Amino acid sequence: MKKIAIGLILASTIVTAGCNTTASSRNLADAKVSGQDLAQQVCSICHGPDGNSTNPTFPKLAGQQSVYLVGQLKEFRSHDRSDPAGYQYMWGIARHLTDKQIAELAAYFSAQKNIPGPSRNPELEAEGKQIFTHGIAAQNTPACATCHGPDGAGNGIFPRIAGQHANYIEKQLGIFKNTGQRPDGAMMKVITHNITPAEVKAVAAYLATL
Amino acid sequence: MKTNRHYRPSESNITAPSCDYVKSALSIMRLIRKSNFGQLIIGVAALFSLLLSGNAHAVPAFARQTGQNCLACHAGGNFPELTPYGRLFKLTGYTIGKRTIPLAVMGVFGSTNVKGPTPTGPGHTATDGSLTFDTGSLFVAGKITDKSGVFAQFTYGNYANTNYILDSGDPSTGHIGSDNTDFRYADQLINGDQNFIYGFDINNNPGVEDVWNSTPAWGYNVVPISTGFAPAALPIIDGGLAQQAVGAGAYMYWDKTVYAEISGYRTGDGVYSFMTQGNGQQINIKGENPYLRLALTHDWGAQNAMVGYSYFDVNEYVPGMQNLTNHYRDNTIDFQYQYLLDPHTFTVDVTRTNETINYGDAGSAPDSINSLMAKATYTYEAKYGAALEYFNISNSSNNIGNTNSNYNPSAIAGEFSSQTGTEGWTPEVFWLPVQNVRIGVQYTMFNRVDGVATGGADAINGKASDNNQVVFYIWGAY
Repeated sequence: MKKIAIGLILASTIVTAGCNTTASSRNLADAKVSGQDLAQQVCSICHGPDGNSTNPTFPKLAGQQSVYLVGQLKEFRSHDRSDPAGYQYMWGIARHLTDKQIAELAAYFSAQKNIPGPSRNPELEAEGKQIFTHGIAAQNTPACATCHGPDGAGNGIFPRIAGQHANYIEKQLGIFKNTGQRPDGAMMKVITHNITPAEVKAVAAYLATL
Repeated sequence: MKTNRHYRPSESNITAPSCDYVKSALSIMRLIRKSNFGQLIIGVAALFSLLLSGNAHAVPAFARQTGQNCLACHAGGNFPELTPYGRLFKLTGYTIGKRTIPLAVMGVFGSTNVKGPTPTGPGHTATDGSLTFDTGSLFVAGKITDKSGVFAQFTYGNYANTNYILDSGDPSTGHIGSDNTDFRYADQLINGDQNFIYGFDINNNPGVEDVWNSTPAWGYNVVPISTGFAPAALPIIDGGLAQQAVGAGAYMYWDKTVYAEISGYRTGDGVYSFMTQGNGQQINIKGENPYLRLALTHDWGAQNAMVGYSYFDVNEYVPGMQNLTNHYRDNTIDFQYQYLLDPHTFTVDVTRTNETINYGDAGSAPDSINSLMAKATYTYEAKYGAALEYFNISNSSNNIGNTNSNYNPSAIAGEFSSQTGTEGWTPEVFWLPVQNVRIGVQYTMFNRVDGVATGGADAINGKASDNNQVVFYIWGAY
């Protein structure tokens, strides 16, 4: 059995080395590998094959605005986006991607269907919906829906926030508010200036179910 | 050596997954090995400057290949325990990323101190209480083709030769040997939202190809200078054939749910000896010896869990007795749970092995070994961590009075003449000042050693608590 296995390994290796096929390649520095192959072979491990990730460390990419995805991948590639999870996981992934691959990756994930999370705390989510729809006038916090759309699906550079993991939303709002690690989100720094942790929790809980 | 065939002495634990830098670090370490404290401090400072001078994102070979931080693959940055992504990185043949120079180095400094008076108890060494350079490893690790890769470790054990134990011997005779090695070819087929990974593997330590940390090869006492389990007789799956046998096999992982593997192990001699050399007298096993592995896994939210089973069936030749073999059958069930969401990482591993031994010499009754190991680990911000390990290992002694007994010089087949049950706890705290350096303290408390509980004593190991041992370590990789 072992001889068979060794034979298979050697044969497979030789065949693979001898071919120029890039199907199912996990090579992140080969411009010939398509965005779809990279999405399925590499990105899917954390973000899910359909862009609906399981662990909230990794954002759901399904149904995300392709313009936004292109922007983020380029920000990772240029190191302009430097939030901890961003550089820990994504700088390496994005470092050799070509513009073409980035466009293909964005097209792949934006075409997937977002699966929102289940309702866990209706009261908190209702509070979040209020902020999402109407903002908080008393502290000049505008409604999320103004830019992200009434259904939270986003538009161009404004990302989809509907159906995103609550924990991811909370962390990103904290990064916008407290750091300069996402310069592309300068607008969000102003918007989140007066928002409280309780309000962040509420709006994130709502968005996860939207 | 046969007497303690499965005995894993703490300091010579070069078969455990270990880490080190070699090259420049080695020269520093050699310099300070027998030096005084002042020189040691200089050495440590030099080592740190070596580490800190590097790019924070340029850690060992795999990280250079993916460009990612350690914590992408290691749970809470706590090497060697893998995250779901780290497991997939391994199962897909170490191929994610770009091909780079596949070299990395690792080093361990440490200090051990045993509670009991010398020379009682295992673990006492000529270097008790001194901070010493323990092991250094060179890794050849990385992507070979788009579908194949390698993880190969070679370890220099500064005290790898055994006669330094107890009588001090000559502590200067370290040597280098093959450590854990794993060659893979793998592919991943994706259809819609389902995926299927399959691969082939050649390795030199049964279980080292596994991706969960509830396997003996990766789960317990992974810090190379760890105390270990004192004189307990361990099942053969627990390092008994590490760097002695070579196996090849095939595996599949379906939809991140079902993992199955079948491998066959044979003696690591002849053309395979590059994977086993430098590890003492060759242990010979008869023909092909099967290893089977099944695991069910599930991810939900920030959590994931695995329930697994493995079976290892080995016929091992008794040294000096032509054609006489002992037959070991190991049934293991294991469990792993992980919670991974910054800033918290919490993991639990539990491993239960039952080994049945049928001796080759007529007249010996079968024996068995039961081992239970469990470990919980928490890290905060991938920087501060604590762990608690429990171990309880016991064996039958069905051949008391047999002239072939274990501790009798005339023993020919390694039967156990006595109950050598060992039980204890190892709490540990550690700190990762940078992602590729871990500094920690462990304290191993023995409730029972060699079948003797705390308060009792036996001729070989003294009181159980005399074996208690504190270990301080600095473990880094570059």
